[in-house]
Amino acid sequence: MEVLAAAIAIGLAALGAGLGNGMIVSKTVEGIARQPELRGPLQGTMFIGVALVEAIPIIAAVIAFMAIFM
Amino acid sequence: MSDFENMIIRQRKWMLYLLAVLVLGTVFTSHPRIFNSLLLGASVSFYNLWLLQHKTNAFGKTVAETGKARGGLGTFSRLAASILAVLIALRFEETFHIIAVVIGIVSSYFIMALDGIVQFIKHNKSKNPQ
Repeated sequence: MEVLAAAIAIGLAALGAGLGNGMIVSKTVEGIARQPELRGPLQGTMFIGVALVEAIPIIAAVIAFMAIFM
Repeated sequence: MSDFENMIIRQRKWMLYLLAVLVLGTVFTSHPRIFNSLLLGASVSFYNLWLLQHKTNAFGKTVAETGKARGGLGTFSRLAASILAVLIALRFEETFHIIAVVIGIVSSYFIMALDGIVQFIKHNKSKNPQ
């Protein structure tokens, strides 16, 4: 049962993070390709966005492994 | 130097300050288990922060030069690093406290948020001097 819970936690978190990261990165690539001189600010925005989106799957993975091994 | 480069230098500096404080806590306080765990988590968090900064910079450079997205952002490396820290904490339970490790892992996000808030306040103050 713990393994199933861990799988659901990691799977759903990865799904959400994948969708979120995909949206952020696609818009940034579009922006940088259109205006390469705006690379700095766009990179900064992407960096903050990706970091915040990825915090959730990292915590989910940690909780999943705690559920399996504790 | 661009805003992005300034931001990543500031964040690395704050993380190094945090790591230094945690080392002092490990050596000089009577709670070495908690501070060891925070140090383990914060070290992994610093690695995650550095990797994300490095990958974001490389990714932006590639896109600006070629117009195409090549390479990733290292998501799985960061997940694996965090899981490794948790597994180490679970394996050596007498040395590490698991909750403190998790708090250490999320420390870079607190630093990013604090840095963002401080920069926002500084920017507002320089815009509207009283």
